[in-house]
Amino acid sequence: MSEFGMGGCPGSKMQDFREGTKGGKEEGGTRQSQLKQWPIQLHLVSPEAPYYQKADVLLAADCVAYSVGDFHKDYLKGKSIAIACPKLDEGQDVYVEKIKSFMDDAKINTLTVMTMQVPCCAGLVGIAQQALQSAKRKVPVKSIVVSLQGDVLSEDWVQ
Amino acid sequence: MEKYLNAPIKEIITTFPQVGKILEEYNIGCVPCTLGSCLLKDIVAIHNLAEEELELMYRIEKAIYPERDVKKSVSGRNIKKKSIAGEIKYSPPIKRLVDEHALIKKWVGLIPAVLENLDVESESAMQLILDGVDFIRFYADKFHHAKEEDILFEYTDKNLDVIKTMLKDHETARGHVKALLDAIKTKDQRSIVEHLSAYNGLLTEHIKKEDEILYPWIDRGLSITQVGELFAKFNEAEGKIDKGVIGRCKKFALEVEKKVQKIKAKKEVIK
Repeated sequence: MSEFGMGGCPGSKMQDFREGTKGGKEEGGTRQSQLKQWPIQLHLVSPEAPYYQKADVLLAADCVAYSVGDFHKDYLKGKSIAIACPKLDEGQDVYVEKIKSFMDDAKINTLTVMTMQVPCCAGLVGIAQQALQSAKRKVPVKSIVVSLQGDVLSEDWVQ
Repeated sequence: MEKYLNAPIKEIITTFPQVGKILEEYNIGCVPCTLGSCLLKDIVAIHNLAEEELELMYRIEKAIYPERDVKKSVSGRNIKKKSIAGEIKYSPPIKRLVDEHALIKKWVGLIPAVLENLDVESESAMQLILDGVDFIRFYADKFHHAKEEDILFEYTDKNLDVIKTMLKDHETARGHVKALLDAIKTKDQRSIVEHLSAYNGLLTEHIKKEDEILYPWIDRGLSITQVGELFAKFNEAEGKIDKGVIGRCKKFALEVEKKVQKIKAKKEVIK
């Protein structure tokens, strides 16, 4: 076992960001949540829900919202959401079918997949890609990868 | 400086030739443009220069007002990071238009070779020209340009000179096609060469401007919702067009090189 206790996997390697987050500007007031639905976990959501119909859907890896400081304002606002963890969740074949149903049945407008930079997170983009390939109705799918400290590392359209 | 930002670039370059040279250094090709009606502020905005924009504006202002103590602006705004040189990431609907350009370029790029070997008495050569004109009318114009005019440009300000220039290019191209059809009927070789050559020059430049400048600029301004809408509208528009005709056009573009080679070889044998 390494000094971080969980081997070399970047997905579970211990990292300490306390120094880097010191000194940020103190902000007053409160921000309104941009979440407009419940549930949000991909196993629990139904593509038949009214808020998915013709919507711009955000499929976010579980950790993303904790990493990106302005997640609600910059990414969730105006979108319907589903969250999942491609590393730990079981029954991921259901995920492919569900995303396919977003495209074919809910006739969503777009799908944005937000993942962390850790390699295991790329699995969520793979799931979206599989769904896109098997769906009869194609929609634009965007992949946004964020760093562990919430910076956007890349934005790419998935073919 | 405000008045020059709102002035057509041709006027500025004519009065201050140094500005043309500065623009060329930034790969902004306004000097050879025959229209030059785009406003300086739109040209600067459309080229996505990121941090270089401040330096460019400083140099232009110095060229216009050499006696003035021009201060370099310091970037305080959140300029979107410029993509790596040569790498343009198009959204899916815009990518579809770029892919259509690739097919159009297959035919347009072969026009000089077709004209070099043109014999109006040769049935196969004339059939190739006719097929090429059909490709232009149905694929380049009805299928591709119509999507731009009826859908894509609706997401821009149609009063912008850059859009007016693109629309004018489409009209000019239609004029060449009309003249070509007349010339084919009368087997007027000189007129066929004239209009097909002009079409070749026009479309080559037009596609380059769209792929490298206009489309990326439009793409940068689209929200994710608009990207989805555009994609759906393109699908809907394509659904209304006869798939057989489009299939024939695609087949023509993919096979035209072989046909041109055949005509060329036949001509060599006759010689």
